[in-house]
Order: sequence, then structure tokens, then C-alpha cells
Amino acid sequence: MGTRILTVEDDERIRAAVKLALEDEGWLVDEAADGESAIDIFHQHPSDVVLIDIMLPGIDGFELCRTLRRTSDVPIVMVTARADTHDVVAGLEAGADDYLTKPFAPKELSARIRALLRRVRPVSPAHARLLFGDLEIVPDEGKVNLGGHEVHLTKTEFRLLCELAQNPGRVFSREELLDKVWGYDYFGDGRLVDVHVRRLRTKVESDPANPRHVVTVRGLGYRLQS
Amino acid sequence: MSSRFADSAIASSRERPVSGVPESSEPDALSPSAATRALHGVTRFLDRARHRRISLRTRILLSFALGGFALSGFLAATTYSFTKSRLVRQRDQSALSDAYKNASIVASELRSNPTDLTALLSRLQTLGVDRPVLYYRGNWSAGRADFGPNALPETLRERINADGVAARMVTRVRDEPVIAVGIPLDKVDASYFEFSSLSELQATLSSVGRALVGAGVITTSLGLLLGALAARRAVRPLADAAQAAQSIAGGRLDTRLDSGGDPDLEGLATSFNNMAAALQQRVERDARFASDVSHELRSPLMTLAASVEVLQARREDMPERAQTALDLLVGDVLRFQGLVEDLLEISRFDAGAIHLNLDELLVSEFVRQAVSVSSVRDATVLVSERGEQMLIRGDRRRLARVIANLIDNARLHGSGDIAVYVNEAEEPEPISNVWIAVEDNGTGVPEEERSLVFERFARGGAAGRRATSEGAGLGLALVAEHVRLHGGKVWVEDRRDGEPGARFVIELPAEELSA
Repeated sequence: MGTRILTVEDDERIRAAVKLALEDEGWLVDEAADGESAIDIFHQHPSDVVLIDIMLPGIDGFELCRTLRRTSDVPIVMVTARADTHDVVAGLEAGADDYLTKPFAPKELSARIRALLRRVRPVSPAHARLLFGDLEIVPDEGKVNLGGHEVHLTKTEFRLLCELAQNPGRVFSREELLDKVWGYDYFGDGRLVDVHVRRLRTKVESDPANPRHVVTVRGLGYRLQS
Repeated sequence: MSSRFADSAIASSRERPVSGVPESSEPDALSPSAATRALHGVTRFLDRARHRRISLRTRILLSFALGGFALSGFLAATTYSFTKSRLVRQRDQSALSDAYKNASIVASELRSNPTDLTALLSRLQTLGVDRPVLYYRGNWSAGRADFGPNALPETLRERINADGVAARMVTRVRDEPVIAVGIPLDKVDASYFEFSSLSELQATLSSVGRALVGAGVITTSLGLLLGALAARRAVRPLADAAQAAQSIAGGRLDTRLDSGGDPDLEGLATSFNNMAAALQQRVERDARFASDVSHELRSPLMTLAASVEVLQARREDMPERAQTALDLLVGDVLRFQGLVEDLLEISRFDAGAIHLNLDELLVSEFVRQAVSVSSVRDATVLVSERGEQMLIRGDRRRLARVIANLIDNARLHGSGDIAVYVNEAEEPEPISNVWIAVEDNGTGVPEEERSLVFERFARGGAAGRRATSEGAGLGLALVAEHVRLHGGKVWVEDRRDGEPGARFVIELPAEELSA
């Protein structure tokens, strides 16, 4: 079965054109004009990536994002009107993995989708399990345990954690993480990393306000420690 | 006789004003009429000042100083003349009563012993009268040679000896101010004269005068000081207003003036603030319009971009003419997209909604990266030795855009042979700026158009030509805005090596890495 993409967009013409462009990439495209029908379609045919426009009639893009996140770790791309408003951060906080600003080139969209579909690289065959104090990562099974209890991460959060775990103690700059996790070139948006790190901390830290595992190194980036 | 005496004394004092006493000249200038003249002078000066546009500050300062000067002058003059007349009258009266007492002694002595004048004079001397003069039976005799009859004013002698009226006069003997009193002693056919010194009085008066001049100087200085303070206070609201206006002109449209509850300033503050609010509203409306238009353009653009891409994937299946048409379409959709993005960005500048995402960047590294993702990836990047070691604080994405725009601009106006230079700024040590320069081999920008090229949709001359082919006409305007937001400068000049071509330079605040 091919890759399934759900695009939620109220402008019929944009939807049709984007569907055509994505189908050219060889993907199967489902369409929804509003949040409610998007939820229905998603439950009928679980998608591999969901593309959500923030401005939607009825429940808005943020709400739809949160609703999907409650039951699924599917990669979500938000489409915003402006890159420098709080929309971006709000969308990422709601659970989106990446964002695009209108008008975007469909090529850019497919590049983002491909990056999200990329499989997590196995850390190292020798390390089936990685232990950082009370934090345990099982890369092959895609599992993370904190104090013996399994925590649920989205695909992007998991990839981010594994990337940091590749080289415990080393500082990863935002640019490096953008490149490795999101597939961005040099000029990506550092907020993607910051918001994901914040979300990751609420899951893998017993006290997210005073992180012990995912530590900020001022002016440089982040690192993982036990 | 005593009443007659008193009358004549007053009369004589009127005839010969006591101010006949010599005195220093300064207090004289401070007399009330001098103060009035000074006041007139001040008024005239202030009138002239108004016409000659002497600054408000100076005018207030001078008004206070001159006001202080005139007032203290007037007070000093009044005090001086009052003190003087009082002291003189006291001295006068004591001189008169002493003379009267001595005259009665002389009269009784002459009655009992009409011939022995020497005994009489020595008796007077024992009483402390050291400068008596006696006119007795047509002969003069004096206690001291230098205070003899010749020292007596002619009019006084005549008045006593001829008219038989007691009188006194102020005069000078051997440069000493004295009061000479004369009393006719009719019954013994004599006249008694007596000199008494006024030098003590003069000393007192001149010390009072000096004190008053000193007080006047102090008061005037205080007036000056007060004037300076008042001027500063009075001018402060104007300075505030000027600053506020400047701040608005500088783009901070929400600047308002605070009257500080002063009813005099309320009017100015209110109208200023109304003006600022109207201006802000207008500017914001214009900015919103541009932003709204660009927003509305996004949706159709999205559809266009996506559809064109689908068509492009099938370009090879199309007939040649359709391919040409498609290429045109693709090119212009891209251009349109760039234009809308630029418009949105610039309307964000106008709305003041840009927030820089500042990072510390190693300039050389950053420029190399930015060039590598620009439209001319293989442009030469030449970094000076010190340029390698410079750090800037900047928004990575926006500065990359600046460099991309400059490279696009250079590509459009030359053969694509582009060089990018990173150097320390040519400025005196310590170096605090870095220059990033992009040189092309086009025709260059003529002197008179160098500021125009950074304007939006610049038209006319080279600027117009620059905007024709692909350039949106906003690229360089965005460069200018971005650089300004980073606290830097941008300009265009001729190439340094003398070859034809333009050199666009951006100057950004930077710090050198200590080795």
C-alpha cells in the first residue's frame, strides 16, 4: 500500500492543485474541506502525513491538530499565513511537526513530507538499549521508558531524542538538528527545534522546568545527558 | 531764637542739598532714575531680541538676570538714599546742637571776660571742640590754623555776619568733608563758627554702598542662575516635543507627548498627540492595505504554483510552442511569488511587526553559507584575515535574504561574474563594524541614483532599468530595511579596482574574536 496523505484545506482550488502536485510524487491523497470531515477520513483511512491549514471553518487547525494528536503520532505539517507570528509556535505547541508558509512551492512541501516519512536511522546495532539514568531508549522498537513506564512520543520527538542519543554529552546546534531531524538546509527555523525540545521535556523529564536529560547549552544548542 | 535757628537750618539744608557730600560714583548710578532707565533698556533689549530671534532660552535667562539687576539696583538705590538722608540728618542735628551748646558757652565767656580770646579758645579745646572759629568785634580768631575763617564758605560767613541768621553748610576742607555751622551771637557782637567732620559718615556711607553693590551683584547672579533654571524648565516641554516628533519621524508611531498635568502644555500635548494618532492610523491603514492585498494574493498564487508544477512535470509531452508558453508562465509565477513575499515582508516592516531572531554568527562562515544557497552558488567569496575573525549578532534567515537579494541584483546587472568581499570596516581602531560587499561587472550606478536604488519600486534611470527584467523592485528596499533593523548601513559605490560595475556594501556592527 502506498503512502497516504491527508490534506485539510478549505480553498477548493488550492486543494485540487496540491492534490495534483502530490499525486505526481506517487502519493495517495485524501482531501478534507474542514476539521470534522478530516477527523472522519483519518479514522477511516489512517494517513502517513497530515497537512493542515490553520484557517479552517468550524474547528480550526490548532484544535484539529490537538484532536489528532490525542490518538495518533502521525506527522503533521501546518500551513500558516505568516512565518513570524505566534501562529507558528502555537501550531508546533499543538503538536505539529513542521510548518510551511503560504504561498509555498509544492516541491518544498514534498521535500518536507519526504523528510517526515524518513525512517528513524538505527542508532547502532550494538546498542539495542540506551540508558540515561531513569530514561531508557529502545531505538529498534521505537520505545522510550521513563522510570520503568513507557512514554509515548511522536515520530519527530522520537527522532529528535535518538539524534541526541547518538552522541550523548555532545552539544548539537539547532542548525544541525534541523538538518538531521527535519532535513532543512542551513536557513531553517530554530523555533522548530526549541518547541520540540520543550514538548519532549514534558514527556521525558520528571521535572520539565529543570531538565536533567535534555539540557540547553546557552548560545550553542542542546545535549543529552544521564 | 531757637525756632528761628531750626527753620533756617532746614531752609539751608534745602538750599544746599546734603548730597553735596562727595561720595563714590557707583551708588549714584543706582539711583531710582537709573533703575528706571535700566528697566527701559531691558524692555528695549527684549523687544530687539524678539525681532532678532535670540533663542527663547537666552531671552528667559536675560530677562531674569536683568530683572534681578534692575530690582536689586532699585532696592540698593532706595536703601542707600534713605540711609544716607537719615544718617546725614542725625549728624546734622548733633552738629547743630553741639554748636549751639558751644555758642552759648562762648557767649557767656565773652560777656564775663570780653578780651581774653586765647583763654576762650583753649577752654573750648578742653571741651573737645578742636576746630572753632570766632568772629569778634571785626576780628577773626581760630582754634586751628588750617580751619580758619578762609576755610568757611563765603555765603555762610555773609549769612551769619551780615544777615544774622544761624546756618550750616557742607563743604570740603583739605579734602575732608566737613559740616560748618555758624551761629550769630548778636548780644556780644560776635559770630561763632564750628567745623565738624563728616569723614566718618562718609566712610559709613561708602561701606553701606559697597555692601549694597555686593548684594546687587549677588542678586543679579542669583537672577542669572534662576533664569538658567527657569529657561531650562520652560524649554524642556519644547525639547520633549521635538524629541517626540523625531521619534515619530524615526518610525515609532506610538510615541505620545505627556503634558505632565500642566494646563499650559495641555493644548500642545493634545494637538500633538492627535496629530500623532492620525498619522499612526493612516500609516497603519496603508500598511494594512498592502498586507491585506498580499494576503489575498496568496491563495490564487498557491493554486498557480501547484498547477504550474504539475504542468512542468509534463513539459516533455507538450508541443514546442506550449513549452515556451509554460516556461514564461513558470518564470512569472515565480516572480509573482517573490513579489508577494517581498510585499508581505515590507508591510511587516511598516507595521513594525518584525522581530529579529538574533544569533551570534561568524560572518565569514555565514556569508559562505548564504552564497552557497543563493542564485549564484559559485560566486567568489573573498574574506580578509581579520574578516575571518569577526562575529555579528543577526537574524540568520533575514541576513541570508539580504545577501541573496544583493547577489540577485548583481546577477541581473552583470554577466554573473560576482565577487563577495568580507572585510573589517575602514575605520579607526578599534574596529567595530564589518563590511560585506557584493561587486558585479555591470554598468554601475550613477552618482545621482545611488540613494534611489534602495527605494521601493524605484523608477527612472538605472533604478528603473534595474527593476525591469526580473527584479521586483523591492529587493534592494528590503535589503535596506533589514540592514537598518540590524543597526547597520548599506550603500552603493564604484568598484574598487576601477573596472566598470557596482559595489554594494553593507556595514554591520561586529566584534572581533580575540585570538
